[in-house]
Amino acid sequence: MDLAWYALLGLFFAGYLVLAGYDYGVGMLLARGVGPAGRREALTALGPFFLGNEVWLVAAMGILFGAFPLLEGELLAGCYPAVAGALVGVILVTVGVQLRSRPSDERVRARWDRVVMIGSALAALCWGALLAALLQGVPLQADGHIAGVTHLATPFAAAAGLAMVALVAVHGATFLALRLSAEAAAVVGRTARRLVPVALAAVALATVVGVLSTRVRDAVQRPAVAVLLPVLLAAALLAARAALARRRPGWALVATGAALALPVLLVGAALWPYVLVSTTDPDASLTVADAAASAPTLRLLGWVALPLLPALLGFQAMCWWVFRGRTDGRAPVYW
Amino acid sequence: MDTLLLARLQFATTTSIHFLFVVVTIGLVTLLVGMQTAWVLTGNPKWERLTRYWGQLYVINYVLGIATGIVMEFQFGLNWSGLSRYVGNVFGAPLAIETLVAFFLESTFLGMWIFGWHRLGKGVHLALLWGVAITAYASAFWIMVANSWLQHPVGYEVRDGIAHLTDFGALLTNPSLGMAFGHVVSAALLVGGMLMAAVSAWHLIRRTPDFALFRTSLRIGLVTSALAISLVQGFGFAQFGPVGAVQPTKFGGDSPESQALIAEWTTRFGPGDYTPPVLASVGLGFMILIGFTLGCLWLLLPLLFRDWIIRLRFPLWLILLALPLPFVAVILGWISREVGRQPWVAYGLLPTEQAVSPVSAPLVLTSLIGFSLLLGTLAVTNWVLLARYARRGAADPALGRPPAPLDEPAHPEPALS
Repeated sequence: MDLAWYALLGLFFAGYLVLAGYDYGVGMLLARGVGPAGRREALTALGPFFLGNEVWLVAAMGILFGAFPLLEGELLAGCYPAVAGALVGVILVTVGVQLRSRPSDERVRARWDRVVMIGSALAALCWGALLAALLQGVPLQADGHIAGVTHLATPFAAAAGLAMVALVAVHGATFLALRLSAEAAAVVGRTARRLVPVALAAVALATVVGVLSTRVRDAVQRPAVAVLLPVLLAAALLAARAALARRRPGWALVATGAALALPVLLVGAALWPYVLVSTTDPDASLTVADAAASAPTLRLLGWVALPLLPALLGFQAMCWWVFRGRTDGRAPVYW
Repeated sequence: MDTLLLARLQFATTTSIHFLFVVVTIGLVTLLVGMQTAWVLTGNPKWERLTRYWGQLYVINYVLGIATGIVMEFQFGLNWSGLSRYVGNVFGAPLAIETLVAFFLESTFLGMWIFGWHRLGKGVHLALLWGVAITAYASAFWIMVANSWLQHPVGYEVRDGIAHLTDFGALLTNPSLGMAFGHVVSAALLVGGMLMAAVSAWHLIRRTPDFALFRTSLRIGLVTSALAISLVQGFGFAQFGPVGAVQPTKFGGDSPESQALIAEWTTRFGPGDYTPPVLASVGLGFMILIGFTLGCLWLLLPLLFRDWIIRLRFPLWLILLALPLPFVAVILGWISREVGRQPWVAYGLLPTEQAVSPVSAPLVLTSLIGFSLLLGTLAVTNWVLLARYARRGAADPALGRPPAPLDEPAHPEPALS
């Protein structure tokens, strides 16, 4: 039961990074100098999916609170700056995208677009740092609390944050290559291909810094899984580049999406059976089973989730199906 | 300043801003469902225009509702980790259900509704709005289940200092829930109705075009808010019985029940001040005052006859000037409910000071200042945009604008080719 809920938590957080990841990627790519019309076109490509993407985070947080209350409290409070930073980023993006076209003055819209860019980069950076914080262990004490927040400030957290920013940028560009009109898609497809080496370099940097960090080496329970992570990330990025070169943006998006889901999956697997590994007191480490809510709560939530999950995924799939295809002059414009 | 006070201030700030937007969301979406249903049933273009105009305002308002809602969700973990540690097994369940049953679906439906004009069949498009409305009410319900549990913890047993769920049904039949849910939902209808009536009144005062349109929405808004204020009053006063029975200290006073309870707490938790701050009673008093004042909305209803309300003009001014009142009242009501729970986060079970996260005060202070400035700025910006769009009138809202015709293949190419 614990494992099922842990997997579900992983599914929703990974789903959030994959789906909102291209929102943030598109948000950062608003900076690529395509003029007001080009920026509006990019936001129109996000269009109907935008609201349905960010709620994956809301659902992940709900599952974290309901099924892993102990973890929720300690993780969020113990990684306060990273979580608060990500939260600010998420809010700037959600408000910026939805409000930027309400003023009719292009200068005001450009200011909102800068808000979206900053928010997108901040959200990606902080989620990357939070995943790194899990992988490098936290100073969890015998009383069950994480001591201070300075444990976040490591080169590995910074490198992982930057790698996440790079991955999200590639993902966003690939999404635009799939969604924009053929002409604009060709241009952004080239951008995506040029971004792949940057992302590879960022992943390589994070890997080197991680391998050199004693904290990471000590915290990881399954080194083989942890080594697999950068290898699979590189493979996914190269696959995306190959697919883009062959004008298969759909497959490229699958590959970049996998690159965003993989870190969640592999960080979870590398730390198993722990979820928070203590750097100060090995006995204080928190296992997934200990972090989970007690059995009656999980049973209740299971009965709720079982019939609900197909409906949640079904309505999301309906949204993707109804609004599939490239955006053209007839695409509804609202953001 | 200690972490506890700062964390409480942050909760109060975020909740208040959130509440101001979600009451409008719930109120307006109910009226929108009526308007779009009327459009689909009658085919009268007037209803489409009304849906687009008020839908535009609804969607702008929704932005801050969702942004502050996400902050609310994170805040429990950031500032109140003791809450998840000690009572998360019980309190977390309704919140988790809310995110999955309501929040997730509501946003998914709304995204499709905004972009679905001219793309989806009329029936499907209407069904999406119904979905948005139903999930909005479900959201309010589950949040009130969670909040009522904090007011009156039920359906649990404490083992090793941690609460475990024993009877989920008890959370749904919590005496603190039923009337309060009715009260909150009717308050949302009141706010939505008053907003609609006030914006329409402004257009009618200024004699802008679209007289017929705003005449209709004035009538809808006014009748809704008159009915809603009576429900608000009814559900409000009906709460005194059940809430007073389970929370004797809430409304102040020295009743024998509250003295007995305080004596019991003193033996169990040690001596301390177990009476809530007087602010709770202040909130309650002024809220009731506003509630009675708004009861006068019924006096305006006869003036709808032969449009006397528009011809006389001064009733329009009254409606316009009364618009802040329901907003002030919902905040006061919330203060009364939440401050009246103090010094407990879960009444009689978990003291507020034990629920706060063990984080440093400067960190929470930074967070408090940062998020208050951010959300405050965004809230004001949002209201300015709302006012601007409300003033602009119903000529051509961006929401539901028909796309330019274009010769393009009807079938999009497959994504995975």
